[in-house]
Amino acid sequence: MNIHVLDKSIYTAVTEAIRSEATRLLTAGDVTVIVGYAAARRKGSAQPIVITSSADADKLIFTPACVNNLAVYLTKAKKEIPKGGKIGIVVKGCDLKALVGLMGESQLKREELYLIGVPCVGVLASTVQPATELTAETIASKCRECDAHLPSGCDLLPNVVLPPMPQLEGKYSAEIARLEALPPAERWAFWKEQFAKCIKCYACRQVCPFCFCEQCLCDRNKPQMVDTTPRPAGNTAWHIVRAMHLAGRCAGCAECERVCPMDIPLNLLNRKMAKELKELFDYEAGFEVNEKGPLSTYTEKDDQSFIK
Amino acid sequence: MNQTTQHGFEPKIIAFVCTWCTYAGADLAGTSRMQYPANVRVLKFPCTGRIDPVFILKAFQQGADGVLVSGCHPGDCHYIAGNFHARRRFAAFRKLLEFIGVDLSRLQFSWVSAAEGGKWVEVVTDLTEKVRAMGPMVEFKELALEEQWSGVIDTPELKEAYNAI
Repeated sequence: MNIHVLDKSIYTAVTEAIRSEATRLLTAGDVTVIVGYAAARRKGSAQPIVITSSADADKLIFTPACVNNLAVYLTKAKKEIPKGGKIGIVVKGCDLKALVGLMGESQLKREELYLIGVPCVGVLASTVQPATELTAETIASKCRECDAHLPSGCDLLPNVVLPPMPQLEGKYSAEIARLEALPPAERWAFWKEQFAKCIKCYACRQVCPFCFCEQCLCDRNKPQMVDTTPRPAGNTAWHIVRAMHLAGRCAGCAECERVCPMDIPLNLLNRKMAKELKELFDYEAGFEVNEKGPLSTYTEKDDQSFIK
Repeated sequence: MNQTTQHGFEPKIIAFVCTWCTYAGADLAGTSRMQYPANVRVLKFPCTGRIDPVFILKAFQQGADGVLVSGCHPGDCHYIAGNFHARRRFAAFRKLLEFIGVDLSRLQFSWVSAAEGGKWVEVVTDLTEKVRAMGPMVEFKELALEEQWSGVIDTPELKEAYNAI
């Protein structure tokens, strides 16, 4: 037996709790709709589901294959979710951070949501099959550095005890440290190669809960700030703009990296910016709603050592 | 004496300035007949808070060797807090560019008030000389050139196709 297998036994109890709560909420009419996860066709896989009837509550599950950040369905696809009444949503810790960020940006109201929190030991990486055992090798990179196994401030948090989790080496922090130690020219070469792979499918944008602009800067052509063709200059500009627009907002759900068909390490840029904003302005994405993000506020004593 | 003249490298500097302070400061330098390098192209904005980081990217892509962003001193913003917001934004943007591998000495931020014609001359001269010593900025230009056809036509396949016509 592999000693690195992670204990995910609590997910059975979590699934039960989600189902009974969904039944109760939908029967009582406390919520009109619940966004959660259901089993998908491939063995062991899961997909997002929107249910409106308590008869469908048994479809809800939580497994290590429940990788999606459902927060995205409350912004862009909100139009497809029935209006009126509260929305119930199943959230992992990382997803809750995204919801909290959206509340801070006035995209969502807390009183319109019913949060069903998930005590989470981790989900699978996008590179492995959904039926794979959750181990220290197959766990998603974001979960290795997770500090939000227990979402806080939810309306329901299943009463389970988190199993002891091994301290896993952080892949993002290691990679950021490696890149930072390189000379600038080699960093440029690294990113040039990564960005050259981009096919401008904009999956990273579509899946991001924070990319909710009605019209993206990168879709505007008067003036055209970022070339739209999947060529080197436009790709580089797009990824720099994306990282910059998410700086101080990104909740670290790593959905961008998961959906990237070309395997560009997008979350690396987001994590780097998160690290810098922590150092510069002592800001971190968390469970507290902040009306102003670090880049939409200021103090008169901000560092200006780089300004002449 | 058939020596061809070598044109020296003249850096192209783009300056994004705020209209209330630095633009007036540059104007003062001009009306005071102070000399500063003609390498700088001044672009006037309402406020440093209006200067989007994507403008800087665009400048580098379109051939700038150095970029200067300059506005009012903290506390002097015509719009009260535009430069405070800009200060945070550019602090973050610098870190991002550095991580991507851009040499930050090509990107200069400064506060130049309407009375500081001398400081404007100093900032522009310093940046121009620094960039001149560093040579042209090639990274973004190379990317932009790759957007276009490489110009290579003597590939075996093309020759074969040409001969077949």
